[in-house]
Amino acid sequence: MQRLQQISNQLIGNVSGSDRAREKNPDDVVIVAAYRTAIARAGKGKFKDVNSDEILMKLVAEVFKKTKVDKNLIGDVVIGNVLNPGAGVNEHRAAIIAAGLPAAIPFMAVNRQCSSGLMAVNDIANKILTGQIDCGLAGGVESMSKNYGPHAVPKISDIVLKASEDAKNCLLPMGITSENVNAKFALSRKDQDEFAASSYQKAEKATKQGLFKDEILPITVDIEIENDDDDDDKPPNVRHVVVDTDEGPRPNITAQSLAKLRPAFKKDGTSHAGNSSQVSDGAAVVILMRRELAESKGLPVIGKYVATTAVGVPPSIMGVGPAYAIPKVLQMTGIDKGEVQVFEINEAFAGQALYSTRKVGIPIEKVNPRGGAIALGHPLGCTGARQICTLLRELRPGQIGVTSMCIGGGQGAAAVFVRE
Amino acid sequence: MLAFKTPGYNGYSIKYSPFYDNKLAVATAANYGLVGNGKLWVLSIQDNGQITPDAVFETQDGLFDVAWSELHENQVLTSSGDGTVSLFDTTLSRYPIAKFQEHNREVFSVFWNLVDKSLFCSSSWDGTVKVWNPNRQQSIMTLRSAKDLSVKAEAVQTDRKPPLSSNKPTIENPASDCVYQALFSPHDASTILSVNSASHCQVWDIRQPSPLTLDFISHNGLEALACDYNKYRPSVIATASVDKSIKVWDLRMIPNINHQFLPHGNKIGPSPLNKLVGHDFAVRKVTWSPHASDALLSCSYDMTCKVWKDYTDDRAKFLNTVRLRHGQALVNSFDRHREFVMGCDWSLWGNGFAASTGWDEMVYVWKAT
Repeated sequence: MQRLQQISNQLIGNVSGSDRAREKNPDDVVIVAAYRTAIARAGKGKFKDVNSDEILMKLVAEVFKKTKVDKNLIGDVVIGNVLNPGAGVNEHRAAIIAAGLPAAIPFMAVNRQCSSGLMAVNDIANKILTGQIDCGLAGGVESMSKNYGPHAVPKISDIVLKASEDAKNCLLPMGITSENVNAKFALSRKDQDEFAASSYQKAEKATKQGLFKDEILPITVDIEIENDDDDDDKPPNVRHVVVDTDEGPRPNITAQSLAKLRPAFKKDGTSHAGNSSQVSDGAAVVILMRRELAESKGLPVIGKYVATTAVGVPPSIMGVGPAYAIPKVLQMTGIDKGEVQVFEINEAFAGQALYSTRKVGIPIEKVNPRGGAIALGHPLGCTGARQICTLLRELRPGQIGVTSMCIGGGQGAAAVFVRE
Repeated sequence: MLAFKTPGYNGYSIKYSPFYDNKLAVATAANYGLVGNGKLWVLSIQDNGQITPDAVFETQDGLFDVAWSELHENQVLTSSGDGTVSLFDTTLSRYPIAKFQEHNREVFSVFWNLVDKSLFCSSSWDGTVKVWNPNRQQSIMTLRSAKDLSVKAEAVQTDRKPPLSSNKPTIENPASDCVYQALFSPHDASTILSVNSASHCQVWDIRQPSPLTLDFISHNGLEALACDYNKYRPSVIATASVDKSIKVWDLRMIPNINHQFLPHGNKIGPSPLNKLVGHDFAVRKVTWSPHASDALLSCSYDMTCKVWKDYTDDRAKFLNTVRLRHGQALVNSFDRHREFVMGCDWSLWGNGFAASTGWDEMVYVWKAT
């Protein structure tokens, strides 16, 4: 057996997974652009009066202005979205055309809940890997202002619900699944509040230092201003506003100030408005292509796509998704967790993010160094692509980063990227 | 191109006879050398182009290397997986005429000294190189790295810039104790060159009380599988490695082991004269031509043999990359083998002819240049 092992070592070359990830080959899938809008607070923020298609159209137009990628290179467009009917397949197709892409370029909408943006990237990357296309546009967009509400509650037939406990648990509101995680793994309110406060503090600091400036493309939208007079017949005043700064981060949040908030989902629960993700609007897009194409066109490569994976977990504790998805993607790629410099783990709730971090055994300072969804906001379909934009700016050339998130219905996803 | 099949046995090594222009010795092993018997084939190339076996010898364990005696035209040495080195007489049948048993593990190479023909050497997975006289049962000396090989190339911190001479961080290699090949210099009866799985290339002078004279990391921490002395330029060697490359070195440019003046943190490997890249997998064997000072033959797990022209030469020490003519180094690629090619050798007689053997149970004799 040792002889067999020896020959297999000679063939594999004992190259560690991280070195393989850093290798530059002509058929790699690389990222040549990753940009997002600022993330606005749903219902109150600057995107409150526009729909997801408008946000997407304006962002995509700006991206092509900024990067000078030839639009005709794009072989496919995949956009993630959760709340629009049919994941926005009609209006986002229109938005892409309106942004100036030829109608000859096909379009697909994907929805794997909070990972939709990442799944869009994964889909484009796979198509490039298999040779179906050479270049593609992937991203995600969400207007929770317009599409989040009672109608977003899932409808599941009785016969399906009765089939099994897990099937029934798919109906649980996310807040309840969060409380389940908090209770099952004994995550204290204090720990969660500290985690949430640090997310706010990191995001505030990063915003002040202008660290998000590079990834945010400002777009201009109309916003309705309330009339002071009580005349409802008069059309509302409309004002042009430039959206260029995340609205989520608040100054001076501490664990003590969060401790005053009341539980939101359960009387004796520990999840509340301050340690859960915010309801937000926003979009993010990524342009991926084969490395040889990027090189022949002289486009700057900012990162390499390495791998994506998704796992299923019990729906009642869907928040533990990253705890299973991250080890799986690291095992797939042969990368040791110590070799990863930054983990962008979506903060759907402080409890699940904290549990996932602890379960995988990640040093807390490597997690979301510029804050997460608790401070920045969580526009569902956009988040997966938003994390890639942020991650690539957090890493230095040669460093490896992981993005991950939990997914409603009991799933987790994780992906590996290398900054170049 | 001539072909011969070694049914049931997968080729590991092939050597041309130094006495007859048409004789070949082939070391093979059953079951890809993983477990089971071995077989030594002594082949003759007939005038009509047919290859026929003169003699075959079955052995208890797989054979990994073969070397012709420089003293006697009918004698062949083999190295085996059971730790033995055997001397066969091709005119006798069945059993070896001498057996040398000291190595504790698989013996991966044997080499007969071309200058002092009373000596041969063997290298083994037990981490040693042994020097033998065919008339003595016991080895004359055992060479073992005095250096602790667990202190290998220093790990380069990933967030710091890698050293100038390498484009990749050096990798720790846990299997440090296998000497894949050892051979005597054709220019000097007492010099041995060896490569091991810790990526070290070592030069030994067997007259010295502490024989190790040069020791350097040749392939950035990846296993070095083969080496050879240039037959015309006494200080020039080639090494082949799991990193898919062949490197050409001038031993005069390597600091002596006793005079390593660089501070510890600054110990980057020496630079090769030339690097030949083109194989898609680990390079299993490399050998310089007996007829030209700039021709190399290599074989690899990528199922090809490749013939290279080394554009470095003695007259121009300060070569720039243009003069190395990287794009033109690959002269010929032989792709008939359908499995890993494990052994290859230049004909000593017909200029430009080569023979190769591999896991596809085939022996091919072909025109390399």
